Amino acid sequence: MNNPYLPIPVTIKKITIENEARDIKTFDLAFNDKKDAGKFKYTCGQFAEISMLGIGEAPIGIASSPMDEELVQFTIKKYITGVVTSALHNLCPGDMVGIRGPFGNGFPMKDFEGSNLVIVGGGFAFTTLRSLTRYVLHEKNRVRFKDITILYGARTPGELIYKSELKQWEERDDINVHLTVDRGDENWKGRVGLVPNVLREVAPSSKNSVALICGPLIMVKYTMLPLMDLGFKPEKIFFSLEMRIKCGIGKCGRCNIGPKYVCKDGPVFTYKELQGLPQEY
Amino acid sequence: MIEKIKETVKKLFKENKIDIFIGYSEGTLPLRSTPCFITEPDDIEKLVWNSYCFNNLAVYLPRFFLPQLQKKDVKLPRIGILAKGCDGRSIVGLIKEHQIPRENLYIIGIACKGMIDIKKIQNAGCKIQEVEIVAAEEKNGKVLVEDEDKKKIELEKEELLAEVCKSCQYTAPLIYDVLIGEEKRKTKEEERAAFIEEFEKKPLEERWKYFQEQVSKCIRCYACRQACPNCYCKECFAEQTKPEWIGVTDNISDIMFFQMGRIFHQAGRCIDCGACVRACPMGIDLRIFTYKLIKDVKEFFGYEAGISLEEAPPLATFKSDDKQEFITEP
Amino acid sequence: MENVKLKIIKKKDVLNFLDSLKKEYNIFVPMEKNGDIRFSKFNSGEDIPWNYRNTKISPKEIFFPQTETLFSFEAGTSALSNGSRAFKPINEPKGSTPGTTNYLIFGIRPCDAQAFSLLGKLFGGDDFQDPYYIEKRKQATIISLACNKPQITCFCTSLKGKPDNEEGTDIILFDLGENILAKPITKRGEKFTENLNSWFKEAKKSDVEKKNKLMDLSLKKIRSGVNLQNIKEKLDEAFDISLWNEIHQKCLGCGICTYLCPTCYCFNITDEKDHVAGASTPSRGKRIRCWDSCMFPLFTLHASGHNPRPTYKERMRQRIMHKFNYCPENFKEIFCVGCGRCIRNCPVNLDLREVLVSLMSLGSLCKDKKI
Repeated sequence: MNNPYLPIPVTIKKITIENEARDIKTFDLAFNDKKDAGKFKYTCGQFAEISMLGIGEAPIGIASSPMDEELVQFTIKKYITGVVTSALHNLCPGDMVGIRGPFGNGFPMKDFEGSNLVIVGGGFAFTTLRSLTRYVLHEKNRVRFKDITILYGARTPGELIYKSELKQWEERDDINVHLTVDRGDENWKGRVGLVPNVLREVAPSSKNSVALICGPLIMVKYTMLPLMDLGFKPEKIFFSLEMRIKCGIGKCGRCNIGPKYVCKDGPVFTYKELQGLPQEY
Repeated sequence: MIEKIKETVKKLFKENKIDIFIGYSEGTLPLRSTPCFITEPDDIEKLVWNSYCFNNLAVYLPRFFLPQLQKKDVKLPRIGILAKGCDGRSIVGLIKEHQIPRENLYIIGIACKGMIDIKKIQNAGCKIQEVEIVAAEEKNGKVLVEDEDKKKIELEKEELLAEVCKSCQYTAPLIYDVLIGEEKRKTKEEERAAFIEEFEKKPLEERWKYFQEQVSKCIRCYACRQACPNCYCKECFAEQTKPEWIGVTDNISDIMFFQMGRIFHQAGRCIDCGACVRACPMGIDLRIFTYKLIKDVKEFFGYEAGISLEEAPPLATFKSDDKQEFITEP
Repeated sequence: MENVKLKIIKKKDVLNFLDSLKKEYNIFVPMEKNGDIRFSKFNSGEDIPWNYRNTKISPKEIFFPQTETLFSFEAGTSALSNGSRAFKPINEPKGSTPGTTNYLIFGIRPCDAQAFSLLGKLFGGDDFQDPYYIEKRKQATIISLACNKPQITCFCTSLKGKPDNEEGTDIILFDLGENILAKPITKRGEKFTENLNSWFKEAKKSDVEKKNKLMDLSLKKIRSGVNLQNIKEKLDEAFDISLWNEIHQKCLGCGICTYLCPTCYCFNITDEKDHVAGASTPSRGKRIRCWDSCMFPLFTLHASGHNPRPTYKERMRQRIMHKFNYCPENFKEIFCVGCGRCIRNCPVNLDLREVLVSLMSLGSLCKDKKI
C-alpha cells in the first residue's frame, strides 16, 4: 500500500532571496531519483509538504508551473515562530530535504480556458498565482486563454517578490501587469495605493472573466467589494486559503472549515463555496 | 444554606450588581454537581449546594478578563461567584497575579463542610466497574446510594470526604463580599502534612519508583492543567515548539518532565484545592507531589499561598538580603 | 445470515482457548490496570473480567496507538551547510512498513466495534489511505461481547447501536452465565469458529432463548437516549446560533473526551531526535504521530499567530459540529457510538446528551437566534 506519509528526497539546487527583508526565499528543488520526478505531477495551486527530517514539515504552495519540468520551486517565508521555515532558511544549495505531495485541489485550469483571467495577488501569497501565470504564459498554453490582467501589490517595493520575472512580464504584450505598493520609496516610480483601490482604477471587465485572488485575509476581504461591483459573480472568484495543515491528506482533522478540508477540498475555493461554509478561518 | 445562596443571588441581579453568576447546578450523574453560569434571574432556581460541589470555580474567572477583551470602550463583566475556601484561596492568587480585578467580583463565600470523593464510595463496597450506582441522596450526614440491582447502601459522609477536604484548614474564603455559614472545620497544621512526612521517610529508590509508577499512567490529556486556576498561561511550556522543551507524546520521560514542570510551576502558588487530582481520569496521585511543594515553601519561606492579598509571593519577590551563594559559589 | 451456526463454549474453557491461539494471534483482551479496565496483551494468568462495563480508553488505541512511529531516519555522513549533520532520507525508512501482526481483539463492546467501522471510513477512503491503521485493521479478527448490563451513561440506541449490535465485529459473544454463546457475523468470523471446532459445541434452543431474554432485558435498561433524527440537517443551519455561547461555558478545554472517545481521531505529526549514548549530537530520529485534540487551545494556531478558533466556544462548536454534521456530510455517518465515556469522565460533568437535547429542541434554527 502506498504510504502518503513518506517524504521523497530532493536536493536544493538554487536559493534566491526574493525580498529586501531577506525573509522570503525561493528554493529550486530537484528530485534525487528521476523516477520520483515523473510521479510528481501537479497542477497550479497545489501545495506540497516540505520535510526536514528531525525538525518537521511545512505545507508550502508550489511556485513553479507544471511546464517547468526539471525543477520544483517553492517560495518560503521565514516565520519567527516557525520551526521548519526557520531551519529551511539556514540551508544552502546541495542540502537535501524531503517533499510529500502534491496535495490539494489546485486551480481548475481547464475551466478557465477561453476566459479572461484577472489575477490579484498581495505580498508573499502571490506564489501560487505565479505558478498559474507561468503556466498560462507558456507558449503551449497562451492561446487557450484570453486577456490576462495581473494586479500585484506589496507593502513596500522591496517586498515585491519575483522581481526579475515581473519585469519580463511587463515587457510582454500578451499580459497587462499592474504593480502597486502601499508605500513607495525614493526609487519607486510605479503606482502607490492599496490593492483594492488600484483594482477599482484598473477596472478589468468581468465579462467572460475569472478572478483569482491570493493574499492576506484582510486584503482578500477588501478586494471582494470592488470585484463584486465590477460584476464578477461569486462562482467566478477563486481564492487560495491558508490554514494550519499537518498531514496534508485530510486525516488529522485540523484544517477544516465546516465539512471541507483545506488540504483536500481546497486550498482553492470559489467565493460561492466559501459563502456556504462557516465563517471560521 | 441553598436558600440563602439563592436569595443573595436574586438580590444581586435585582440590584444590577452582577452580569453573570457562577455556581453549581444538579449534575446528570449520581453524586455529581456541575458548574452553572447564570445570566437570567429565572435560572437561579437551578442552583444547588451539596457534597458534590467539588469543582474549583475560580478556573473560569481569567477567561472573562483576557487582555484581548480589555479594549478601550469595552466594559468588563461583573462576576458573582460562589466560593468555598479553596475557590477563595484561588481567587486571592489570581488577584495577586493580576489575572482578575477584585472590583469586578462579587464573592459569595460559603463555609464548606467538605466534598465527597467518588472513588471512596467504591471502596465502601460498591465495585463501580461491576455494579453501577444509579442514584444517590444526601441526608443528615449520610449518603444513601442505590445500585442498579436496587440494593441500597447507607454510608457515613465523613468517611467519604476527599483527603484534601479532610485536611482543609480554611474552609471559607478569606476575602468575600458576603459569607454564608460559619467556618467550623479546622485541621491542625501537623496533621495536614502527616502523609508527606510518612512518604519522606521512605528510601529514595522507593520514592522514585512510586513517582514513575504514578506518572506512567498519564495520557497527556492536560485535564490537571486545565482544571487548575493557576494554569492560565496562553502557551504552556509543554506545548511550545520554539524551543521544544518536551515531546508531545506519552513517552515516559516526556511525561515525567511535564508533570514535574507543571507541579514546580505551582510552587508558592498551589493552594491545595485538589482540582487536578479530581480531574485526572487515570487516577494519578498528584497531591503527594503538590503538597510536598506547599510544605517546602512553608518551611523555606514561611509562606502559604491564597491567604493574604498583601503578602508578597516569595518566588516572585526579590529582597536585597536574598541568599546569593547559588550565583557566587555554584 | 439465517443459517448461521450458533456455538457454545464453556466460560471456564475460554482462557485455555485463548491460550491455544497465542502462537498464531496477537491477542488483546480487557484487563484490570490501575483500578480501571484497559485493553492489554493477553496474559495466560489473568481471567477475563466478564462483568466489566467498558474500558477506560477505547480500543482504538490498538489500531491507532496514542504514539506511533511513522518512520525512522539516521544521520548521514554529509554535513549540512549550517554545521549540523543532515538526516539521511532513507528510501525505505526503517519501521515505515506498518505492522501486520495478526490481531485478535477479544471482548470488545459492540459500540466500540461499531466505532472501528467508522474509523475505517476515515482512514480508508478513495483518495489517500492511511496504511498504519488500515494494515492493522485489515487482518484483525474482532470478537465482541454483547452487553448484559448497559450503564446509565450508555445511549448507543440513539446512534444505530444496541447491546448486541453486529456492526464492525466478526463474532459476537453472549455471556449466558456458565456458557458463552458465539454468533459468527462475517465470513472471517465463520471461518474462525469452523477452524476451532474442537472448542465449540452446537448451541441448544434453550441457550438461544436465554440469550434473547438477556438481550431484551438489556435493551430495556438503556433508558437514556436522545432523539437524533435529522440532527445533521438541523445543524446545517446551526453554525451561528447563540446557543453555542452557553454550551461551552463550563468546558475546561482538556482532552479527556477526545482521548477516551472511540471515534475521535485527530492527531499531530512531529519529529523527534535521539542521541546514542555518549554522543553529543543526535544521530537518529523518527517521525511520529500522536493523539491531539480539537479542544486544546493551540490546535489550530497558525505560525502567523492567527487562530481561527480562539476561544472555548469555537472549539466546542467544532467538536459537536464535526461529530454530528461534518462527518455525516463527508462519510454519511455520525461519529459517535453512544458509549458514554465522555459523559462519565468529564471533570465538570458536561453531558453530551444535554447538549444534543438542547440542539435538537431548537425549533427553526436559522434566522432568529444569531449571535
